[in-house]
Amino acid sequence: METDRTWQAADGSHIDVRGLNPPEPMVAILALLEKADTGEVVIVHHDREPIYLYPELAERGWRHEIIAGEPGEVRLRLVREPA
Amino acid sequence: MTIAATFLGGAKSRLLPASVPFRFFGAAVLFHPAAWAVLAWDAEAAVGFTGGLGLPLAALHLLTLGVLAGTAIGAALQMLPVATRQPLGAVWPARLAFWLFLPGVFAVGHGMGAMHLWVLVPGGLAVSAALALFGWLMVDNLRGAKSLPIIAAHGWLAMVALAALAVLGLLLVFDFQSGLLQDHTAAARAHLILASYGFMGMLVMGFSQILVPMFGLSPEPPVLWGRAALLLSALALAVATVGAVANDVVLMLAGAAIGLAAAGAHLWTMAAVMRARMRKHLGLSFLLIRAGWVLFPLSILLGALDLLDLLGPRGGTLFGFVLLFGWLLTFLLGILQRVLPFLASMHAAKAGGKAPLVSALTAAMPLKVHAICHAGALVLVAAGIVAESPVILRLGAVAGLVGALAFAAFAAEVVRRMTGWSLGRTQK
Repeated sequence: METDRTWQAADGSHIDVRGLNPPEPMVAILALLEKADTGEVVIVHHDREPIYLYPELAERGWRHEIIAGEPGEVRLRLVREPA
Repeated sequence: MTIAATFLGGAKSRLLPASVPFRFFGAAVLFHPAAWAVLAWDAEAAVGFTGGLGLPLAALHLLTLGVLAGTAIGAALQMLPVATRQPLGAVWPARLAFWLFLPGVFAVGHGMGAMHLWVLVPGGLAVSAALALFGWLMVDNLRGAKSLPIIAAHGWLAMVALAALAVLGLLLVFDFQSGLLQDHTAAARAHLILASYGFMGMLVMGFSQILVPMFGLSPEPPVLWGRAALLLSALALAVATVGAVANDVVLMLAGAAIGLAAAGAHLWTMAAVMRARMRKHLGLSFLLIRAGWVLFPLSILLGALDLLDLLGPRGGTLFGFVLLFGWLLTFLLGILQRVLPFLASMHAAKAGGKAPLVSALTAAMPLKVHAICHAGALVLVAAGIVAESPVILRLGAVAGLVGALAFAAFAAEVVRRMTGWSLGRTQK
């Protein structure tokens, strides 16, 4: 399902949480991860490193890596770890 | 350095080195059993305590300065840069503040308990200097706040209260030596209001706007109710403090009534956050947080009833106990037991690679022991005060001490598991 902040692309599900106040980005990202139709890879477009998100990702079995994004953007690639 | 890492320069610097918040949390964990132990030591004096030098005053300040302020400083240094979206101006003032804070609190506790003014005065000065450094860091950060104006406004109120309570605190310390105040009791009452509902209360209410949704995984709290709580709190604090200084019961009662409305607005925002949360099972930490929410308005109500002379001769003691050991300690221990493993995991993740699970860093048994003992301590000490029984009060304080030691075991276990995890990763 696509919204104005989420969309699908060849490299996975995307979510753009730029401009949201904490803890809205964390809540939006975790809500996306819990959706049944979310695949194995999620790309997050953020305006800061979501340091408080990492323990929640680990708890849910997702790992993260920072990848290149646009200037002023922090882009993360989240990958679901095999059970 | 990768392109992505270059972008992250500013973002990462919002996160302090782990040693900075953890040293304040560590001090709070150590002062916690000390406060209960000193309370148990002189239960006879604590039953009817209304002020003055001695062991009950020492226990009170080991709690308020050591545990409550220690936790608040650690949390504020960690959270405010995230909320305001800008890093702290410098880290060294936080480190220096700690080395003034730690011996300062020891000296204040010893000086008050043993009635050694030659220890109390330098201790009070050291703690005031530590709080001034902390206040400077906070004000510097708040001046450039780029987001979350309600949290920033709570921070500003807390800093105003901190400045006023520190000045009053020093005046009270010097008054023991030279008798410079006209009304020591009135100044002490204003100091208590500013320290508990002002400095601590505003930090608790402000950071709850971000911490409770973060831990419950809820959307942003309703802004209108947050603003209402903020404005009512500011008004209540001003009216109650002026009333306390002027020894005007009507003004203090008006402050309490407005304060109750502020507490109601704050609790309404928290209820909205809890209703909208994604995480259904919140664990033991939120049991303490919820208990804190009940005890917050109850403390104001008890204060008002005591002003009306409806609680008997021990009303003031009961009010102070429910306010400090009840609301603030219970709430902050709920937050601290959630924050410690969370921060440990977060800092490990920041260092790179996979983060240890929060659940794997948390030892459940010590927290269960703590929760049971803490609840027992609150009930027994309150009953001891009401029944004017030092025996019951001492039983309660010993239960609090056992609970505090269990909490310290939990904190030590977080550090042990974290260290073990880091060593294991290094060896791989």
